Amino acid sequence: MALLYGLIWRLLLILVHINRALVSWVRVRLRSWIGRLWERAIAALLLPLALAGFPDHQKKLNHNPDANAVTGNRAASRRSRWLSDGRSLEKLPVHVGLLVAEEEPSYTDIANLVVWCMAVGISYVSVYDNHGIFRKNNSRMLEEVVRQQQDLLGVDGSKYNVEVLSNSCDKHQHYVVSCRPTVKVLSPEDGKQSIVQAAQQLCRAVENKERSSKDISVSMLDVLLRESKNFPDPELVVKFGPVDSTLGFLPWHIRLTEFISIPSHRNVSYEDLLNALQQYGSCQQRLGQ
Amino acid sequence: MSWIKEDELNLLEKISANVLKAGPMPKHVAFIMDGNRRFARKKHMERQEGHMQGFNKLAETLRWCKHLNIQEVTVYAFSIENFKRTKDEVDGLMELAKQKFLKLLDERDNLEKHGVCVRVLGDLEMLPLDLQELIAKAVITTKSHNKCFLNVCFAYTSRYEITNAVREMAWGVEKGLIRASDVSEALLSECLYSSNSPNPDLLIRTSGEVRLSDFLLWQTSHSCLVFQSVLWPEYSFWNLCEAILQYQLNYKSIQKARDLHQEHQALLQLEADRACVAEHLQHHGNGKPADAQRRQEALLHYTTCREERIQDFLEALKHKRDSYFSDLCSKDVLA
Repeated sequence: MALLYGLIWRLLLILVHINRALVSWVRVRLRSWIGRLWERAIAALLLPLALAGFPDHQKKLNHNPDANAVTGNRAASRRSRWLSDGRSLEKLPVHVGLLVAEEEPSYTDIANLVVWCMAVGISYVSVYDNHGIFRKNNSRMLEEVVRQQQDLLGVDGSKYNVEVLSNSCDKHQHYVVSCRPTVKVLSPEDGKQSIVQAAQQLCRAVENKERSSKDISVSMLDVLLRESKNFPDPELVVKFGPVDSTLGFLPWHIRLTEFISIPSHRNVSYEDLLNALQQYGSCQQRLGQ
Repeated sequence: MSWIKEDELNLLEKISANVLKAGPMPKHVAFIMDGNRRFARKKHMERQEGHMQGFNKLAETLRWCKHLNIQEVTVYAFSIENFKRTKDEVDGLMELAKQKFLKLLDERDNLEKHGVCVRVLGDLEMLPLDLQELIAKAVITTKSHNKCFLNVCFAYTSRYEITNAVREMAWGVEKGLIRASDVSEALLSECLYSSNSPNPDLLIRTSGEVRLSDFLLWQTSHSCLVFQSVLWPEYSFWNLCEAILQYQLNYKSIQKARDLHQEHQALLQLEADRACVAEHLQHHGNGKPADAQRRQEALLHYTTCREERIQDFLEALKHKRDSYFSDLCSKDVLA
């Protein structure tokens, strides 16, 4: 009997996996089909116009071999489109966490996500994986982000100066107000381990009779944990991958964080991110009341 | 309504339960029972009635968990943030809690028969004294039961819990029971309100919200999180099965992440112990660098002493917590 149940259970899991694969396949096909339909519709509408009028405009384009100007225009229009997307959202998070719960992360896709977040108007972006791979490859992450910035936002991306912070540099960064979007690379050490370090610090102060145990309060611990991060709590965490867990991401800071999942970060599109942000916009926080 | 429901599962439910049990089952499930007020609005009833329905659903869910061999359940009944609600609603909830704990004491024989141990986690000093006394009685009455465990988080937030754990460790340092260097992730976990329970394997939040709202943030860092859109009073056996299936699909990858984390923790502890030993040898050595053998012996000795210190400290902490409850009980007897 137990064998029979075991068999049915395995069958059930297979069915769920097939269902998931089908759903994601359909979603991809639908998106590309809709995309092509849209392109064809636009082409059908604009073609007669292009043939009939605006011959000068056509000539201008043909006679302008400066590729940079064209890409520059494209980048500028992308930038303004993304900025207006951000403004049209009901609410925009100040700090977004990108939690990658997949093996072998793709730096290009993560860099894309970071650049899109900044372009939409998000001030703080943190990137996390539970193996600490991003942390170990901090410089490579920075390179990718800068590269994608230039690709997607054009050469004039100076507005979006990226600061990639890691724990070691924090002590040297002192700025009171930062309007520049900031990227932080996190690993499991920034989670429970930093709470333990703060606890050790407080206990050492008690050991040295500088403090009493009764003085320790939530706000005191909060200040200590914020000192080494200098970031507001993430309002939104976008989780990539099939694992339904926070995998040790900043336990103290996620008390009111909304969690939205995207199946994978590989070949993720801007629309995926925008969808997640729109979903976030519709969340209502009652804060206990 | 009662805390214990005795009905059996119907045939289809039994078969489904057996199919699920063929795979890995969570041993500890946590619930954020959200949606009582929205349910009341939907059914045009009073808010208080919505909360009552919520409690009934809790009793039903405990029965399902028993049939699914889920030994431990933790529920988020009242957050410290909920004190911000209107006085009427807060008083109503306190009254409801008092009634429910009185009922629990009434049913103590039934609880003994089923071996149900009830624990209440939170900053209980924030509650009205009469409720604290009832809670103390309920906890002490069911303390020795060990077949299944129900943890009710009342006047609880995770940040307060973590801060309290840090305060307790600082108290241990003040009393000379432990040193600041003994503070570790494992020790902090032992000082939380939930120290008698393993970490939850599965956390379920109902009503469609996708946040943790300051619930078990430390303990659920490597748990399977399932967010379901059904309102809590409408929760069904099939919703629970769906959540468990999610857990089973995530089991391997979460287990891998947990093991990785534990390995890392063990490594950190070893490094910390080595650092302490090195410092000690430097101060008390005779100027010559210690050989590997001596270092190893010193390390073993230090680790043993540290573990003894920590055991004594945890005993003292347990005694402190038990006294809190027994004092409340005796106060009531004297009154």
